Amino acid sequence: MNPETQLKLQAWLDGELPPDEVPAVARLAETDRDAAALVAELRHTMAALANNELERPLPESREFFWSKVERGILAGERLATGRSRPLGLSSWLRFLAPAGIVAALAIVLFTPIFGVHRGANLAALEEIESPLADVSLTTFRSESEQMTVVWVNLH
Amino acid sequence: MSKIIDYPSASDELLVLNAQKGDTRAFEELVARHRDKLYARAFSMVRNEDEAVDLSQEAWVKGWQRLKQFQGEASFLTWMTRIVINLCLDHLRKQKRLRTDSIEQLDEDSGGVERLLPVVTTNPTEGLERAELRERIDRALDQLSYAHRTVLVLHEFERLEYKEVAKRMGCSIGTVMSRLFYARRKMAGLLAGLREGRKP
Repeated sequence: MNPETQLKLQAWLDGELPPDEVPAVARLAETDRDAAALVAELRHTMAALANNELERPLPESREFFWSKVERGILAGERLATGRSRPLGLSSWLRFLAPAGIVAALAIVLFTPIFGVHRGANLAALEEIESPLADVSLTTFRSESEQMTVVWVNLH
Repeated sequence: MSKIIDYPSASDELLVLNAQKGDTRAFEELVARHRDKLYARAFSMVRNEDEAVDLSQEAWVKGWQRLKQFQGEASFLTWMTRIVINLCLDHLRKQKRLRTDSIEQLDEDSGGVERLLPVVTTNPTEGLERAELRERIDRALDQLSYAHRTVLVLHEFERLEYKEVAKRMGCSIGTVMSRLFYARRKMAGLLAGLREGRKP
């Protein structure tokens, strides 16, 4: 029996064979010993599997599982609300805060360099950290390299 | 004034209607009723307890988010089962567990080896208690590859047609037929205990 015939026998059992091919395949299943044996085996397997899937309870309590689902639902809703909300004051602050910080830094960094004589107590400027909660900022000034590096980290 | 609902005795349809209006208590009741079945379906596909818990949990969250799309064409459980199946298929694809790239696997897909196996002439499950049969089927399922097990689960347990299985798995109907044939023949051998000593 060739592979194509075997798959046709299976399709016939599954009710997926084109109607015009059904009579020939049904006849083969009756008359051919190998085909009949294969059909019997497939039928036994299909019957064994039908409605005999192992029942497997969820290994978590109702309350615990629901609390996780609920958290997921709330997290999704917060995300959706955040996406759909128009730009409010807090949103504008998120955009303006970095610019404000850069401007403030420029004043702090350049005033002592050009206003006071060079090298005077510049150690105090070597590291400045922003106190703002949403934006963290770190600067480093190297006198030897005559260079200032500013890290702005937007959360 | 809204009706007071006795959640534990309310029908799925009533609970769904209320959940669609934002009643999380109604949804909680639906979760409690069907969580085992959804978890079992996820487990049957991924064969890992932690992954199955996470995937069924994710399915419930998605179910809530898409609840307004549920029109009642199928039962709520069927609708939820389709969600968890899709999540499991995505999960298996991401993990590349559905790939069939080894020579052995390709041979399995074409049914090469299994077509030569002797046919099991007796009913291998005859005389077995139902619980024992279920255990044996579960152990046999464990020995199939992800691709073959998935075809078997979708066709035998979810009663999906070839074309629907092919669509969900992203393969041809011919591949589904070959995989199903292979999976069934292998299951027959495993259930009959003919595979002892052979490499699964």
